[in-house]
Amino acid sequence: MIRLEKMGLRYGLGQEVLRDVSFHLLPGSFHFLTGSSGAGKTSLLKILFMSLRPTRGAAYIFGKNVTRATPEQRASLRRRVGIVFQDFRLLDHMTTWENVALPLRVHGKRQSEYADDVTELLKWVGLGERMHAYPPVLSGGEKQRAAIARAVIGKPELLLADEPTGNVDPQMARRLLRLFIELNRLGTSVIIATHDYQLMTQFPAPRLVLDKGALNIHS
Amino acid sequence: MSKRRSSSGKAPIVPPGSVTGRALIWVIAIMGFLFSLTAGAVYMIDDSRRAWLSDVSSEITVEVKPEGTRQEVDNLARQITDFLTGQNSVRDVQLLTEEQSAELIEPWLGQISAIAELPIPRLIAVQLDVNDPPDITSLRAVLRNKFPTAALDDHRAWQQQIRRVTGSLALAGIAVMLLMAAATVGIIVSAARSAIASNKEIVEVLNFVGAEEKFIARQFELHFLKVGIKAGVVGAVGAGLVFFTLPIITDILSGAATDTEIRRLIGTGRMDMFGYFSLLLVVVIIAAICSLTSRYGVRRILNAQNQ
Repeated sequence: MIRLEKMGLRYGLGQEVLRDVSFHLLPGSFHFLTGSSGAGKTSLLKILFMSLRPTRGAAYIFGKNVTRATPEQRASLRRRVGIVFQDFRLLDHMTTWENVALPLRVHGKRQSEYADDVTELLKWVGLGERMHAYPPVLSGGEKQRAAIARAVIGKPELLLADEPTGNVDPQMARRLLRLFIELNRLGTSVIIATHDYQLMTQFPAPRLVLDKGALNIHS
Repeated sequence: MSKRRSSSGKAPIVPPGSVTGRALIWVIAIMGFLFSLTAGAVYMIDDSRRAWLSDVSSEITVEVKPEGTRQEVDNLARQITDFLTGQNSVRDVQLLTEEQSAELIEPWLGQISAIAELPIPRLIAVQLDVNDPPDITSLRAVLRNKFPTAALDDHRAWQQQIRRVTGSLALAGIAVMLLMAAATVGIIVSAARSAIASNKEIVEVLNFVGAEEKFIARQFELHFLKVGIKAGVVGAVGAGLVFFTLPIITDILSGAATDTEIRRLIGTGRMDMFGYFSLLLVVVIIAAICSLTSRYGVRRILNAQNQ
């Protein structure tokens, strides 16, 4: 599903933020991605999400070398990936419901096809009462949950989450983790970038540990 | 924050206010107005040219030189009139009186009593059968043989002049329209660039959820298409009002003999239904320019960003 081969990344002429990163992610796997601040977690997620290209080595996503992919091919690959950003990236002029439904709308589905799924998912993440609210009036935790719902609504083959439980209480964090585990059971590969060791202890999954741009895998 | 909903009840993915401001609508509307005025002027010039050419080509004039006494010239003119009346393919022959001939030069010389004393040639207006026109060359030769002081004018030089002048005016009008279209394209490209910059976050999110460039471009294109239609309608209605009131204003302001001649020359400024229909075409052109330019402009910008 994902294969990185001696992949390196640097911004401009600066030092490499990722060095010789190699790993192979199988379909249906679950990984935590961890490391200290500035270790390169977000950069690695951006490469996996194809918003950055490696400056050396190769990155294969769903078997496609993304360094050579055209914008159309990248868009097509991104439809198979869900991503949760640290800063949520919700659109302020749309309601929570519309934000969550956005990927399906972009994929050309009719509202009648997805309306029930969106409502059900929003209720599941505890936003049933807030589905018609706009993001500026949501709390940090509510925005986080809306962002997660948007990432998973399209039942992606790969879910990438950058600190998905950073803004929620422990109870909601456990609930969201259960959502990720459930998705994983249904076949979605999951990579969760997190600092939250308590969260990592709740589910026995391999850890990808980044240290000064180098990657180690702890099973 | 815009909470405007589309007719389907869904919020537009890109809020309209962030793409096209009122200033842009006005700029494009002014372009549409000028475009419509020019298109209308070209249409009226062409209309006038067709009317002139159809008038002029269906008529020839025979000029009888004022050699001899008045009586002699008058007799000769009558003989020529009879001769022409007997020709095939001639629908009507009218011998202009001395007064009528004098009236023709009055706009240039004014109403002076000396006109009556001038040796003004006698003119014979001959209406031809446009469906079965005569052979002008042989008619001219026969006329010259029979009546050496008569000359036939088929207005060819005048027709060529009309074609040249109206053709130049129409070309100038089309060049002006092309320049305005190019300026509109430039304005839209610039507006599309600003729209993408001010909606950077939305474009990023659309990219993240797997939207293709053409989908993103379509979100912007719809707004520009609306701007094009609105601005085109405002411009065309404005120009339509100008064309509607123009003949009324010229009627009020004119009246002198020279005005009549000028109007005969360049037309009355009155636009027919087809002319007004051509203004509708301007709306379509402006909307198409806005829509296509934004589509290709946005896609080019996104493509450059995604490379």
